[in-house]
Amino acid sequence: MRTKSLAQSLPLIAPVHMLILSVIVIPSAFVVWLSVTKSTFGQDPSFVGLENYIRVLSDPAFRRALWNTIVIVVCAVHIELAVGLLVALLFASGLWFRRFLLVAVLAPYAVSEVIAVVMWRFLFDPDAGPITLALKALGLPILDWSFEPTHAMVLIALLTIWLHLPFTFIILYAARLAIPSDLYEAARIDGATPFQAFRRVTFPLLGPAVMVALLFRYIFAFRIFSEVWLLTGGGPARSTEVVAVYLYQEAFSYNAFGSAAATAWIMVAASLVLASGYVFLLRKQVTGNAH
Amino acid sequence: MRTKRLSIGLGKTLAVAALLFWSLFPIAFIVMSSLKPGQEIFAVPPAYLFTPTFENYASLWNRWGSFFDGLLNSTIVTAGATALAVSASTCAGYVYSRNAGRFLNASVVFLIVVRLIPPIVVTLPLFPIINAMGLNDTHIVLIVLYATFFVSLGAILMRTFIDQIPRELDEAAQIDGAKPLTILLRVIVPLAAPGILAVAVFVVVFSWNEFLFAFIFTATKAKTTPLVISEMIGSIDGVDWGILFAASTVQLAPVLLFVVLMNRYLVAGLTAGATKG
Amino acid sequence: MKNTSTLALTRRRFLGTTMGAAAVLASRPSWAAAKTLNVLSHKVHETVLGTGETDLLKNWKTANDAAVTFTTFDSNPLQDRLFREASLSETDYGVGFMVDNRPTAEIASLFEPLDEKLKSDPIEDFADIAPGLVQGMTINRKLIGIPVRHATQGLFYNEALLEEAGISAPPTTLEELVEQAKKLTFTSKAGTPVTGMILASDLAVFPVMFARAFGGDFITKDFALVPDPVAMEKALETLRAMFAAGALPRSYATTKNDDQVTWMQQGRAAFTVLPFARFAQLNNPDQSKYPGKIKAIEFPVSAALVGKTPMASVTEAWAMVIPKNTKDKALAWSFIKEVSSKRVTLGMALNGNGPVRVSTYADPALIQKSPVAAVEAKALATARATFPPFPEAARAQATMLEEVQLAVLGRKPVKEAVAAIIQRVKPLMPA
Repeated sequence: MRTKSLAQSLPLIAPVHMLILSVIVIPSAFVVWLSVTKSTFGQDPSFVGLENYIRVLSDPAFRRALWNTIVIVVCAVHIELAVGLLVALLFASGLWFRRFLLVAVLAPYAVSEVIAVVMWRFLFDPDAGPITLALKALGLPILDWSFEPTHAMVLIALLTIWLHLPFTFIILYAARLAIPSDLYEAARIDGATPFQAFRRVTFPLLGPAVMVALLFRYIFAFRIFSEVWLLTGGGPARSTEVVAVYLYQEAFSYNAFGSAAATAWIMVAASLVLASGYVFLLRKQVTGNAH
Repeated sequence: MRTKRLSIGLGKTLAVAALLFWSLFPIAFIVMSSLKPGQEIFAVPPAYLFTPTFENYASLWNRWGSFFDGLLNSTIVTAGATALAVSASTCAGYVYSRNAGRFLNASVVFLIVVRLIPPIVVTLPLFPIINAMGLNDTHIVLIVLYATFFVSLGAILMRTFIDQIPRELDEAAQIDGAKPLTILLRVIVPLAAPGILAVAVFVVVFSWNEFLFAFIFTATKAKTTPLVISEMIGSIDGVDWGILFAASTVQLAPVLLFVVLMNRYLVAGLTAGATKG
Repeated sequence: MKNTSTLALTRRRFLGTTMGAAAVLASRPSWAAAKTLNVLSHKVHETVLGTGETDLLKNWKTANDAAVTFTTFDSNPLQDRLFREASLSETDYGVGFMVDNRPTAEIASLFEPLDEKLKSDPIEDFADIAPGLVQGMTINRKLIGIPVRHATQGLFYNEALLEEAGISAPPTTLEELVEQAKKLTFTSKAGTPVTGMILASDLAVFPVMFARAFGGDFITKDFALVPDPVAMEKALETLRAMFAAGALPRSYATTKNDDQVTWMQQGRAAFTVLPFARFAQLNNPDQSKYPGKIKAIEFPVSAALVGKTPMASVTEAWAMVIPKNTKDKALAWSFIKEVSSKRVTLGMALNGNGPVRVSTYADPALIQKSPVAAVEAKALATARATFPPFPEAARAQATMLEEVQLAVLGRKPVKEAVAAIIQRVKPLMPA
């Protein structure tokens, strides 16, 4: 029976795997070979062993880029998760014009990165941006992002949260709606405060959705590119460069295909370590909570 | 009690106002800028009251014919990629939902792990391959690429939707002698429609806005809108920001409309999917 | 069951859209011409050739029964695409546009040497094309590209703002420029905060201009790295002082080329350095708040050098190249010949292209159309590229800019930054 069903199901899972094999896996194998060679336009690849990997790993600019990426991933993704959760709970608590509000919250998801960056650059222009002027008028500190590297990182994080909050929100909101309301009814009858209801009912039941949202956001946030490249270009003085920008520079500005390929594999390895370590930790905690 | 309810109401109103401002202000700024005359757009301090003009849209129409070709190409590519990604994901999701086993589990893990490879990596080797196949600058290349980068998420989401559909339904059909593909099309697909639409929303938004692949694998015939927009930003001759914002508004409108129309299915679909995780 | 019908409808609609769109594509008028020449260029290269009735290539197209299809990209992506296409076993592109700081020996090997063609089927009055530009496209004594456009940097200033600050004449020395820029850091009558000068921080052009104003350079055409460190230090010292005084925007480190244009158009900056060809755009009444008020002069040298060393402004040139792996090289050469002719060069110049022929500048039509033509012609006489092409040039530029930003923002003493430029760029220089 099992072999039969496997044979029957193969044609159905084949398209997905064919696509992935031909578009991602096989070309990636070529990139492995590329990473141990040296080549550029008009110059055929020559084997250099692990030189590219050593060169990239020992480049202080790469280490700084890796560190920046990790900082952005860890900060942005978690803030996004917290805000997404709050918004989801806000929606679940009952709102007027919910349909309209839902569309409003989802809207940034439809904006392409290029356009988003152009707008944010202007809104936060340190001399004349409407937001900067408003903050100044209110006597609040401004984001001096073109001068202070930390402020630049904050702006990058804000922008990436703006673009991706809808994704996190919709997954959490859908999961929250799926929690049967009689569970809350039961909690209320037991005399639980809203906070206790959140801790005992909402949080554990949202666990799996949180995992999905976090995992995909971790993977996508790790290759953050447009926000940085178009907003700060990695500046001031390369202080906000991230790994994807480093990779892009190697491949498309310096045409050093070998070190670009090596950077790519280091990036894959780093995101794998970060994501799997995280999933492991979280799974422990979620199952711990549920019991 | 009443004051408490009132203060909760007030808190909520403030939260909603902040949320609306956060989400919509930048977008409103794009649309507003597209209706301003060129020399007003970056005026300091910015003008919030002005007489709207459609001159930017007129110039867009007159000077950037390629933008409208781009819209057509984007439509074809988005429709194709969505159809391909959704059908491939649904097939796979069905198998993952109804069967178990070490082999299938491994194939799910494989789908996720493969997604760790950043898309930019495969562009280097793919360029000569696609060129040798004579597929450069065709819609097919983009359709296949976009679909591929979404089947992982798609298959996993579809599995959770299909998990919600009682097995008895397809088992009954199986006893009647129906083949898996027939069961899928006749029984599963109609019931999983909200989930399918939810996946479609993700693919549509991604395909409509994608830049990197379009940039590398198209030239003239299959050039999509994000490329034309980035060309407007290109620097030798300076940017005409009015036209750029008009183009951005036009580019944004269809997907936004699509998300508006689909938001019912998006939530319904994902809710069904989320109960089991 | 309601779901079924919705979905079916959607699917049908999808199919309908796709097929309808395909039908539209297929029914487009196909080219009547027998041959098509594919050209890889920047949008601007296409626009200056005109369209429809004013198409400068109309006669050529009829005579050759050929159509021209342009594929256009922004500058850097354009170069990347051109080299990628030329690396394939065969490409559809007959002609590409290449900028003069890219042809290294490796890159040049991908393109057709043109000396033979020039001998057997010469370009009209080839000697008229600026020899310096031709030199830039000659690699290992082989000519690989025919110059078609150049952009020389000039100093732009907003006359109205200068008057507001009580300054009657633009600067004649670098020191005066700095003085005026500091004075012009004020709030204008319109209520706009004005910054003395705006410069992009992601291009080597600007620090190089300042270094040359003191008689120094970054990398000379003979590959001497920072030949005069003191001049480079003075240049960075000047930029640093301007930033500290607010005469460069606070956002210096993230300023891009386009910002320079919008800031000038909005009266947010009084001075900038841009190619002379931007004159029309800066004064375009549709975009600019100061149409007709933005003027251009040659970038001034330091007081100590006035009358002794002329300013070597930065110039950049574009040339037409033929990939070695293209099919119809004869058609490509015929196109290049036509575009390089005196008639088309003048036509393009009137459309805003920086002409490569010396004679074009003397043409009355151009002098009347472009008030900066004479100034530009003078600046071009002593202008040079930012730096010569070599394999690691892009990396060298990025390294230099990182140190310049650190110095200008005050994160590193100028002396250390200059020392670091020399130390870090040295290993990247060609052997």
